[in-house]
Amino acid sequence: MIKAEEIRKIYGEISAVGGISFAVAPGETYGLLGPNGAGKTTTMRMLSGLSPANSGSISVSGIDVVKDNRAVREIMGVVTQHDGLDVGLTVFQNLFLHGFLGGLSRKISQSRAHEVLEFFGLRDRSKANVYELSGGMKRRLAIARSMMTSPKVIVMDEPSTGLDPQSRNRVWEELALLKDAGVTVLLSTHYMEEATILCDRLSIMDHGIILDEGTPDEMIERHAPKEVAQLRVSPLSIRAVRAYLTDQYISFREVGALISVTGVNGDRPDLSRLKDFEGVRTSYRAGNLEDVFLAITGRELRNE
Amino acid sequence: MNLAIPTPGIRRRSVTGLWLRHAVSFIRYWKFVITWVLIEPVIILVAVGFGVGKLVDEVDGASSYAEFVTPGLIIGNAMFHALFETSWNAYNRIENDVYETALTTPITITEITMGDILWAVTRSIMTVVGTAIVAALFGWLNHWEAIGIIIPTIMVGITFGALGFLFSAVAPHATFLTLVFTLVASPMFFFSGSFFPISILPDWVEPVAWFMPLTSGVHIARGFAVGSLDISHLWASLYMIALTAFIWPLAIFLLRRRLIR
Repeated sequence: MIKAEEIRKIYGEISAVGGISFAVAPGETYGLLGPNGAGKTTTMRMLSGLSPANSGSISVSGIDVVKDNRAVREIMGVVTQHDGLDVGLTVFQNLFLHGFLGGLSRKISQSRAHEVLEFFGLRDRSKANVYELSGGMKRRLAIARSMMTSPKVIVMDEPSTGLDPQSRNRVWEELALLKDAGVTVLLSTHYMEEATILCDRLSIMDHGIILDEGTPDEMIERHAPKEVAQLRVSPLSIRAVRAYLTDQYISFREVGALISVTGVNGDRPDLSRLKDFEGVRTSYRAGNLEDVFLAITGRELRNE
Repeated sequence: MNLAIPTPGIRRRSVTGLWLRHAVSFIRYWKFVITWVLIEPVIILVAVGFGVGKLVDEVDGASSYAEFVTPGLIIGNAMFHALFETSWNAYNRIENDVYETALTTPITITEITMGDILWAVTRSIMTVVGTAIVAALFGWLNHWEAIGIIIPTIMVGITFGALGFLFSAVAPHATFLTLVFTLVASPMFFFSGSFFPISILPDWVEPVAWFMPLTSGVHIARGFAVGSLDISHLWASLYMIALTAFIWPLAIFLLRRRLIR
């Protein structure tokens, strides 16, 4: 459905996207996972024609994005990074006018706007001003807007960035419904939960290149430890714990107040002696995409 | 840039869709906008026509000062509306990603400028028609030819609609747009022959005044208002058309550079 080959984008001296290739099958939800600045947004913009690629080729449903940009936008819905809602209009008018601009007749655009509002549970906000909506509702409206012309393909830049957990769940539910409806989705994200839950397949991106590609399970299998121990240590014992781990040649990393310990070759590391330290709580979790990213790049996905 | 080659052909829906967007937004805020479309120009018209008019005995080619000043004032106002639409309003649409969202539908940059300029013309016509009716009631538009003022109104709407984009497309911040008024609108409003004939200006200022596109618009409008058209009005029209033929493509180029990165 979407095929990108060796696409490259250079801004001045800086290479934002350095020749990446990927293909998305019809009905598939495909993710680009990477930290801010990895080149995800640029890739999404190249696909929607908002930022022409310097080289390489992109086609959507067999249509060349460069040669026939208008035709591609006729069959593709786009959710841009910043919602791009029109504050001069109501919720309903935002949808109606987008559909009209997209080529629907006035009548059809109106009825479609009602349908879409119903589908996204925004019907009672139909007459509201856009600036009165919460961040979650704005995001859902932006996604709803991309559905106006019933596209077969939707490109979505960071669908749930900046949302509170509840709104995020709501957006995820709705994206799952789109998938059930057979819509092909390409999304970018820097949330590993989002990528894990939504994507059939994904690419891990960093510094403008794709480092690896596969299903979430494959990626975890390939790169992440089976299990990661997480230690929550009181400030009193933190130094002693660090010294102990170093002493025992147990490798660890600290993220905020959390110490993560990964066993060698996926084995569970022996942390039984940590009971002797005061204020240490140990829990175990399965390896996830966050660990995959760390394993591939040596860096955290999120710098929190 | 690949998109620098415009998609051949103009899609009509893009232009009407954008025009409709502006109309819908305008109607939502009509109570506020009407003050600018009608009330403000009428206030100026009354002040200048009744006030200044009392002090001026006669002006070339018009039976009273009010009759002289009316076409100049209403065309000047058409300029303000067209300029404001594509400078301030368009800047806000750039900043709020309204154009970016529009560009996710099958629309081109050229069509964006067409839809916006069509709306700028619409605003110009609204204010000109409203103010002209009031002026006619005061007896300051006496010739049936005055109906033809609609022609320079449309020309001013297009020229200044295109001109406004030259500012919004390059503005680094909103304050930059002050230049639209200090460099373009105010000098033109006062030196384009709206309030006094250009011929009374110092010799070296006169050609500068003729260079300003509003002068041509005012000249044509006055020709219609007082019912005396000659070849000079044709030259003025051609000048405006030639200028627009240069400004509009430049506006498209600059807007594309801003939106397609």
